[in-house]
Amino acid sequence: MRNSHLGGISLILLVFWLVCTAQMRQSGDPIVLTHPASWPKPQYEFSKNPLTRQGIELGRRLFYDPILSRDSTISCASCHLSFTAFAHVDHTLSHGIENRIGTRNALVLSNLAWSTYFMWDGAVQHLDFQALAPIAHPLEMDFSIEKVVQRLNETKRYPMRFFQAFGDSTATGAAVLKALAQFELTLVSANAKYDRVKAGLDAFSDQEQNGYRLFQQNCASCHAEPLFTHGSFEQNGLPIDTGLNDYGRVRISQNPADTLKFKVPTLRNIEFSYPYMHDGRFRKLRDVINYYAETNALKQKIELTPNEKIDLLAFLFTLTDRDFLFNPTFGFPMD
Amino acid sequence: MGQTTDIQTVIRVLPCFEQKVIVPNGPIRTASGDSLAFHALRMYLSNVVFYKNGMAVFTEKDSHHLLDIEEPGTLDLQFSIPANLIYDEIAFDVGIDSLTHALGAMGGDLDPTKGMFWGWQGGYINIKIEGFYSKCITRKHEFQFHLGGYLPPFPTLQSVRLAVPLNSKTPLIMLELSPFLAQIDWSHDPNIMAPCLVAKVFSKIIAQSFQIHAQ
Repeated sequence: MRNSHLGGISLILLVFWLVCTAQMRQSGDPIVLTHPASWPKPQYEFSKNPLTRQGIELGRRLFYDPILSRDSTISCASCHLSFTAFAHVDHTLSHGIENRIGTRNALVLSNLAWSTYFMWDGAVQHLDFQALAPIAHPLEMDFSIEKVVQRLNETKRYPMRFFQAFGDSTATGAAVLKALAQFELTLVSANAKYDRVKAGLDAFSDQEQNGYRLFQQNCASCHAEPLFTHGSFEQNGLPIDTGLNDYGRVRISQNPADTLKFKVPTLRNIEFSYPYMHDGRFRKLRDVINYYAETNALKQKIELTPNEKIDLLAFLFTLTDRDFLFNPTFGFPMD
Repeated sequence: MGQTTDIQTVIRVLPCFEQKVIVPNGPIRTASGDSLAFHALRMYLSNVVFYKNGMAVFTEKDSHHLLDIEEPGTLDLQFSIPANLIYDEIAFDVGIDSLTHALGAMGGDLDPTKGMFWGWQGGYINIKIEGFYSKCITRKHEFQFHLGGYLPPFPTLQSVRLAVPLNSKTPLIMLELSPFLAQIDWSHDPNIMAPCLVAKVFSKIIAQSFQIHAQ
């Protein structure tokens, strides 16, 4: 009888512990990602990595922490600065530890929940796994996720944050990647003048309106609204930089038709995300427009008068989202 | 009433070469007189299903097993199956399927810290075989085969279905790697580090090299 009672109590305690554990695992405060109703459904499967306030905050701290690099000098933010749409305006190519220079221009980070391919060549097909690439690349962080996890578990500051986010104080590779993804998923840019015009809250000037017409005629097939990218790969006629010999998508697909194809980047916040192209060869937006208008880069040449180029620029500036660029919740955690 | 209790059953997978069990860095003298050693041999077996008369009678949930000769315990696949389960075939995939890739970062055997995920190729390495072979022309005669990739045109996932011998309560699965090594042109650099056609071909050969034995 006594043993039976003890067994019963043990069972109750076990059930209580399991309930508590389950609650701890769900103890984060849920966050729902908001976006304009007219936008398509996000590609990211949020049910596999539900956003929580604690998960996002952990991801933000990891994003800004150089602990992810071998010599603890380079963080994600080193090449993805919030004030420049998480691009890198100081360099044509990304840079890594020990002043190593990479081979590609750092891409803008925004509206990533709608992306299915990551990196200029689409080498990564899921946001969760994207961070593995710069962590492991010898010209960037030159480290490994295994060592990152080991290092995080040796800190005093991270175990509690992993516990708050995922119900377990021990960092794992999956938890690190999911936290980073949670933060990056919150980087939604949807409040540019363009968005306010679409919502009926603002109006384009005549110049911007004409630029919008030119954009729709000449650019929108690749830079499709409302994300301003169709998310796939295109060959835009750029001659190859023989110092880099980067042939783009073909390296991943091994399909000759993909030679010199690169991911079409978003044009949102293009005003602040210079330099442009996969190798950062154009520093000014007008250089990009001139390239398309004055060369035979594309199958169908873009014919623009000088005034039309300015109108197109004026429209592109309506894609600047200052609420996104200067959002303090995206910035360096000050505490 | 009517419920069946589950029992733990173990199916051992034994990688071998010319019927000699492979141990990490253990020297092997091949039938042709060459020297061979495996420094690493890791692979994913997933989506394990037990069949009886062609019908699935047990499907393992969240079925992903990372086998690693450096951790012998991982070669014993443990299943919790109904006590009275009768089966005559076992099926599994060698590698990780595209559906699992789409789930994002996972823990356990699928945690990217296991060294079986490509940062720049976007996918799990299904099979990792590294070692020394005196026929290999590379520096120090070392070879590295990292076989993976789930996207067209070179998906490497392979399905295996093996008939279980009668009266075999704990089947033993042998993975005989000699046919695989026999297919390789050792006069060229044999290393594979990315998804490609050869990785697809090699994955198929390895999948065909599983044999089941009664115990």
